[in-house]
Amino acid sequence: MVGGGKNTLSGSAPTANGHVKESNGFIPHSNGHVPHYKDDKIKKMSQESFEPVPLLVACLTYLGYGMLVLFGYFRDFLRKSGVETTHSTIERKKMRDFVPLYQSFESFYTRNLYTRIRDCWNRPICSVPSAEFDVSERVSNDGNWHLRLTGKSKRCVNLGSYNYLGFAEKSGPCADAAAGALQQYGAGVCSTRQELGNYSIHEELEQTTARFLRVEDAVTFGMGFATNSMNIPALMGGKGCLILSDELNHASLVLGARLCSTVIKVFKHNDIEDVERKLREAIINGQPRTHRAWRKILIIVEGIYSMEGSIIKLPDLIRLKKKYGAYLYLDEAHSIGALGETGRGATEYWGVDPRDVDIMMGTFTKSFGAAGGYIGGSKRLINHLRAYSHSTTYACSMSAPVAQQVITSMKIIMGEDGTNRGQLRIKQLAANSKYFRQRLVEMGFIVYGNDDSPIVPVLLYMPAKIAAFSRELYQQNVGVVVVGFPATPLVESRARFCLSAAHTREMLDKVLDAISDVGDRLQLKYSLNPPTKGVFAEECYRQVDCLSHEA
Amino acid sequence: MEQMDRTQPKDSPRVPVGTMGDGGTTYSGVNPNAVWLNSRGIWLSYVIAVTILHLILLSIPFLNVAQAWTLTNVVHNIGNYIFLHMLKGTPWETNWDQGKSRLLTHWEQIDFGEQFTTTRKFLLLAPVILFILASFYTKYDPLHFVVNLSTMLLVLIPKLPQLHGVRIFGINKY
Repeated sequence: MVGGGKNTLSGSAPTANGHVKESNGFIPHSNGHVPHYKDDKIKKMSQESFEPVPLLVACLTYLGYGMLVLFGYFRDFLRKSGVETTHSTIERKKMRDFVPLYQSFESFYTRNLYTRIRDCWNRPICSVPSAEFDVSERVSNDGNWHLRLTGKSKRCVNLGSYNYLGFAEKSGPCADAAAGALQQYGAGVCSTRQELGNYSIHEELEQTTARFLRVEDAVTFGMGFATNSMNIPALMGGKGCLILSDELNHASLVLGARLCSTVIKVFKHNDIEDVERKLREAIINGQPRTHRAWRKILIIVEGIYSMEGSIIKLPDLIRLKKKYGAYLYLDEAHSIGALGETGRGATEYWGVDPRDVDIMMGTFTKSFGAAGGYIGGSKRLINHLRAYSHSTTYACSMSAPVAQQVITSMKIIMGEDGTNRGQLRIKQLAANSKYFRQRLVEMGFIVYGNDDSPIVPVLLYMPAKIAAFSRELYQQNVGVVVVGFPATPLVESRARFCLSAAHTREMLDKVLDAISDVGDRLQLKYSLNPPTKGVFAEECYRQVDCLSHEA
Repeated sequence: MEQMDRTQPKDSPRVPVGTMGDGGTTYSGVNPNAVWLNSRGIWLSYVIAVTILHLILLSIPFLNVAQAWTLTNVVHNIGNYIFLHMLKGTPWETNWDQGKSRLLTHWEQIDFGEQFTTTRKFLLLAPVILFILASFYTKYDPLHFVVNLSTMLLVLIPKLPQLHGVRIFGINKY
């Protein structure tokens, strides 16, 4: 469990022969005591893989970016000298002698790299984004500076929406209930929770959420981003606080952390030893300059990281937080509804008590087909947030149909509507995720993240392949999301697939064939150690078939 | 103190900046310019790029070996100076740091201003090694020596930690 060449408690990925360089099996800071986990926890921790970039691919990627930069300078020169028309904003002729408003170097990347492949993003759709959707076609005559709708649309398989449990539907019990709520409560609220905007449906939503999360109480907000950015200041507002934040945390968490007057320290992604080291340093040294003890320390992590597909190592974090007296803030935006036997999120996945996590935050956007966010925890915490949160004081409360959508979908997931449709969806999602990821790994792609996560990032690396992958798959009626620099590190551009319970096996097979074909043509199968084919596919779907027979 | 309340991690290149929604960036707050030179394969790519440049220069018929080496050295040093010490700011919007990196050259942004990191040592050594090779291949000819030495100094002096943030005579200040 401890040695064997694979240090599963740190984040270091093994190299090709299984040897991990920086470990001799010793676990620091634990007095030689080896934590006793059940076997499945160890198995869960060793399911993550982040294969490093092959050296040749890295060199070619830099070469690619270098060529793009050189051509960018050349094109900028042509634009400045008037040979080529400039489509972006320029200073007016009269204002040339004034200090310039914009620095043209700052828009270099947008002008010369992003705009050339801009048609791969922000594609307008004209249907509900369920398992399949209609993507409107666009053409451009001037190199993507102006995109024009043609009026036609393509029916594509949707691998880009965060539709984990498939609740993004336009008909069904959720839609009917939401329409009913619209009739009863109206569309908007136009007031804050603390004034006139507290409806009975909000109370019902919070009670349902608390029951779902198995915590004492919960408070909900109209916007998922604002849940983080407006509530972390309410929790960490005073002086003398410390926030330990994972390096890959979402922008909302970073913004929330910056809006307080706290000291922020960043630790390496999912690296428990780094957290422990920073905790010890912080506690030993105290606050900067005065060396007084910190008033409180908050560790902010996410359940599933959407860019990497990695799952947070929750049992280790809880052990650390109890040992050092810190608090834990878990952002389950992507993991609620998607992880765990009954969809309760990262705490159920790891088998830890939800009351060990001090602040459980999540959003309704991903698995519940709605919008907004929640924070769950002890009654004292929630009462404090109800009084002090910026959202409850200044922001309008959640709209009633949206709240009803969440309530109905949560009840379906919990099984309170009397059927096992919720269970079926959860099992289908788990089967889809495992199947899709295993098939991609078998094909030879480099896939990041945990085997259980419904987010599957496939590495593309080279800038031109980002655009080619997106466009080629669009031609074959598959809609994917691709991400490049600077949202990801320079070399690690990727295509991110989001699986859904609404995807059927046939859809996934069709998509996988298209991906394999595009991968062959673009030479994207970079993996240096592809596993041998197994009978994995049938295993994945065995549980789902049993359930659907029962239903 | 400034060390403590940064939100930037010190020693990892795997840091995202924001969404690529409009080609720009959102406030997830790390300057990629500071970390991209720590990525895997950069050193090899740098050496390969210089080698390709040298091979191109060697294949020009009217240049002899000595001139090709001196030209490689000079072109490399001028490119180094322009990209690391002349161009300021970043080629993408920096919403998160309130314009602090707009006045800094790329060299000053590397590793968030921390001196004596591995990347800085590599970039300091590259012109020196090229100078040694060029001196050898030009058989220590005095004219070539003067040219090579002056371009090497042009590139080495701005990299000294004492000259971090210094703008002589206000050149290139804004």
